Amino acid sequence: MLRELNHQMTGMGKKDCFSEVILMEDYFNWVKSLTNPKDVHDKPEALEGIRVLDVSYGNFAGLFASSILAELGAEVIKIEPPEGDIARKMTPFGILHKGTGLAYIIEGRNKYHITLNLTKEKGRDIYKKLVKKSDVVIESFGFGEAEKLGIGYPQLKEINGKLIYVAISTYGQFGPEAKKGKSDYDLIDQARSTVMSVTGEAEFDPEVPEEYKVPLRMGNWMGWYTGGAWAAYAVLLALYWRNFSGVGQFIDVSPSEALLRHANYNIQYYHEAKKIVPRAGPYDPAVFAYTVVKAKDGHVFIAGYSDPNWKGLTTMINRPDLFEKFPTPRERLIPENQIVMRNEIQNWAESKTSDEILKLAMDHNLDESKVGTVVVGKIYKPKESSKLESWYERDILKKFEDPYFGELLIQGSSFGKMSETPGRVKWCCRPVGADNTYVYTKLLGFDAKKMRELRDEGVI
Amino acid sequence: MRDIYKEIFNPEIIFEKPEALENVRVLELSNVVLGPAASDFLAEFGAEVIKVELPFIGDVMRSVTPGFFLYNNLSPGFEEQNHNKYHVAIDLRKPKGRELIYRLAKKCDVVIENFRPGTTDKWGIGYRQLSKIKPEIIYLALSGFGQWGKNALRVSYDAVAQAESGLMYLTGFPERDPIKCGVWILDFSTSITGAIAVLAALLYRSKTGKGQFIDIAQVETAIRWMDWTWVYVGLTGKNRGRCGNRDFAIVPSNVYRCKDGFVALVAFKEDEFLGLCNAMGREDLKIYLDPLERLKPENADLIDKVIADWVSKLTINELERLADEYGFVTSKVLTPEDVYMSEHFRERKTVWIFEDHLYGELAEVQGVKLSETPGRIKWVARPVGFDNDFVFVKLLGLSKEEIAELEKEGVIGKWGDAKGTQPPDDWDGKKGLFF
Repeated sequence: MLRELNHQMTGMGKKDCFSEVILMEDYFNWVKSLTNPKDVHDKPEALEGIRVLDVSYGNFAGLFASSILAELGAEVIKIEPPEGDIARKMTPFGILHKGTGLAYIIEGRNKYHITLNLTKEKGRDIYKKLVKKSDVVIESFGFGEAEKLGIGYPQLKEINGKLIYVAISTYGQFGPEAKKGKSDYDLIDQARSTVMSVTGEAEFDPEVPEEYKVPLRMGNWMGWYTGGAWAAYAVLLALYWRNFSGVGQFIDVSPSEALLRHANYNIQYYHEAKKIVPRAGPYDPAVFAYTVVKAKDGHVFIAGYSDPNWKGLTTMINRPDLFEKFPTPRERLIPENQIVMRNEIQNWAESKTSDEILKLAMDHNLDESKVGTVVVGKIYKPKESSKLESWYERDILKKFEDPYFGELLIQGSSFGKMSETPGRVKWCCRPVGADNTYVYTKLLGFDAKKMRELRDEGVI
Repeated sequence: MRDIYKEIFNPEIIFEKPEALENVRVLELSNVVLGPAASDFLAEFGAEVIKVELPFIGDVMRSVTPGFFLYNNLSPGFEEQNHNKYHVAIDLRKPKGRELIYRLAKKCDVVIENFRPGTTDKWGIGYRQLSKIKPEIIYLALSGFGQWGKNALRVSYDAVAQAESGLMYLTGFPERDPIKCGVWILDFSTSITGAIAVLAALLYRSKTGKGQFIDIAQVETAIRWMDWTWVYVGLTGKNRGRCGNRDFAIVPSNVYRCKDGFVALVAFKEDEFLGLCNAMGREDLKIYLDPLERLKPENADLIDKVIADWVSKLTINELERLADEYGFVTSKVLTPEDVYMSEHFRERKTVWIFEDHLYGELAEVQGVKLSETPGRIKWVARPVGFDNDFVFVKLLGLSKEEIAELEKEGVIGKWGDAKGTQPPDDWDGKKGLFF
C-alpha cells in the first residue's frame, strides 16, 4: 500500500509527501482492519431473525429489495408458481445457465426458493400460514389482484397485525391512474421518472444527427433497482418503527416515483422557472466542465466545474485563455459555450491515452502549488472493468463457487464494508422449488406424505 | 376493499401520524449531493438532521443550478437534496470548530460525511475520534471508491463512477458514444444505499447497543446495480454492449416514436405479447410466444421492426387506448412538465406542493408511501448558518455571548456574498427562523 501511495503522490511537494503518506497509511490500515472482507463471515448479521416472503413476479424491483434484505441477514423465502417466476426468463439473448436466466441468478442470493400455486385455494391457505410466521411480504401483483385472491393487505393484516407489507407497482395503489396498473417493467418506470426525458444526446448540438435526439434509458435496470432499494429502505424504516410501536404497515412503492426522487431538480426547476433542461449528452445544464471526451484509446470523463477547479483544468491542459474567456458559471452554463469548451478539451485529449490523462489529473491534484481539483474517470467497457483488480480487492466483484450453479463472476454486497454487520453473499441462487422440503418441513411441519399430496395436486 | 388504501394514505392526515425516525439525530458533515442526499432520505422520515457547512461559503450546490437560475436566492440544485434539515455553519478545521463537532456528536446517533477518505480523521473528527466520545455512534463514510484500497485517494463524482464501473458504456446507441445519465444518478443511488446501511445499523444498535463504521462507495453501488452484466461476462467471456432503448433481456421493450411523441412499450409476459399481436393484427408473430424465443437476436430485431412500423402510424392516445384494450404495457415518456401537471402525482403527494415559510410556494418530490409513518416535507434548504442560534442554544446550551464570541473568531458564521448562501432579498429578518 505504501508503495502504491508513493507512486500516486509523486506530484506532491516532496516535503509534505512523506508525512502525508505516513498519516494516510495509518488511516488506511486502521480503516481496512475494521472492514476487511476476510472477516465478513465471522461477524453478526443486522437482520438476523427477520423473515421475508418475496412473492413478486417478473419484477426485479421486488427481487432486488429482497436481495438487499437477504444480504443483510434476513431469511428470505422466494415464492414462485410451480412453473417458476418469469423473471428467470429475463435474460440476455435468452441464455439460460443450468435452467435459470442470468439476471435471476444474481438476485436469487441467500434466498430459499420454494413453489406455491396461489391460484388454488390450498395454495393460498399455505401462503397465509407462512404469512403468520413472517415479518415482511413483498409483492408485485398489480392493482387489486391480491385482494381478489383473498390475500391482499386487509386480509393478511387480520392474520398478522405486525406484518410489513410492500406492494410494488408502476402507478401505486391509489390516485386517479392507479387502476391503470398492469405489469411493472423497468423501461416503463424509467419512462415515467423524468430521468429518461433528460438523458440522451445533446438536443442543442448541431453535430448530433436528428434521429439520435431522443430520450434514452439507462443501460441497466435503473428503474427497477431504484425501486427495489427504496422498497428495502421502507421495510427497514417500518421494522425500526415496529420496535417502538409493535405495529406493522403497508408500503406503496412505485419504482418510477422512486427514480423521480433521484431526478435532480427536475420538478423544482419546472415549478420555479417553468422550464425544462434539455437533454445534454456530454454536457450538463448546471455544471461545466463536466464532460465526456474521446482520448486516444477510449472515452474519458473530465470535470472541473467550480471556478477554482475550472482554473485547475484549464491549467492542466495549458489553456489559461479558456479560463479568461469563461471565468464563471454564468458563461460556462450557456450551451453554445459548452460546445466550444468541450471541443477544446477534446482537441487536447485526443493525442493522449486515458491513463496519461488520469495521471496528469492525479499529479495536478496532489501538487499543492496548483489550484483546484481535476476529476477524471476512464470509461471502461464492462469486460475491461471486470478485470480491474481494485474491485476484487474490495470484494465488490468476485469469482464465486456456488453449490448449484458452479463458478460465477458476481457482484458482492454493497453493504460489505459495515464494520459490525457486513452484508454478504452466502449462495447465489437455487433452482425452482429447490427449498420446498426445507421450508415446508421446518416452518409448517409438512411430512413426506403431505408434500407428495401437494405436489400431486399441483399446489407446490 | 380498495378504499382502504385511499384511507390509509389520506394526505390530509399525514402530519397526524408518527415518524419512523423521530428519535434519531444525524450530524451531516457533507457537501454536494452524495452525503446530503443520504441524510435527506433520513430527514424525510423524521430524523433530525443537523447539516454543517463552511461559514460564508456553504455547500457547493448553493451555486450549482441550471443556467445559474436562483429562486428567491435558493438554488434548485441545492434544494433537491436538502429538506427538513437544520443548517449550521462551523469551520471544522479550527480547534474550536472541532470542539463544537465533539459536543454535537455526543448528542447524535448518526454521522454522515463524504470528504475524501482520511480527511475527517486528519481533522480529528473521524470515526476514530468520535467513537471514543460516543461509542454507539453510527458513522457513514460515503466516497467514490471506498475508504481503503488502490483508488482510495481518488476524487470522484457521479459520472466517474458511471464511467469506471462500466455503467456509462451500457447507456446509449451501439453505433454512437456512451452517454452519461441526465441526472447525477449515482449520487442518489449511493445515498439510498447509505441510508439503508444506516437503518440496518440502527436496528442492530437497538438490539446490542453497538454502533459501527460504514464504508459505502459510489462505484460499488454502480457495480452492484448492473444486474446481469458480470455473470454474463464471466460465463461467455464477451463484453456487454449497449442497445439504445432496447433491452437484451426483455423483448419487446423499447421506446417508439408515435406520430406525436415518444412512448415506452413492453409486452414480455405471454398474455401481453398475445395482446400486442392481436392489436397489431399480426397472427404470424404468435410463433414467438415463448419469451426465450423472442430474446434471440434475429427474432428480437424482427419483432422490434414490426412494432416500430406499426406505432409510427399511431398517436400516443391511440396507442395507449389499444394497450388498455389488449393488455400490453405502455407509457408516454414523461417530461418534468407532464409529471408536475399530473393529477395522479399530485393526489399521491409524489409532487408535493406547499408554502415554505421562507421561500413561498415550492414543489418537492416524495417517493415511497408508508401508511403508519409516512414521509413528509416540512421545509427546504435554509441559508448558510440560518439555524445556528436554534441549534447551539437548544442542543448545546450556548449563551448569546458565547455564540457572538465564536462568530467573531470565525469559528461559526452565517451566509456570505454569494446569493445562493443568503435568505431571499426581501427577508424580514424573522421569517422561517425557529429561534
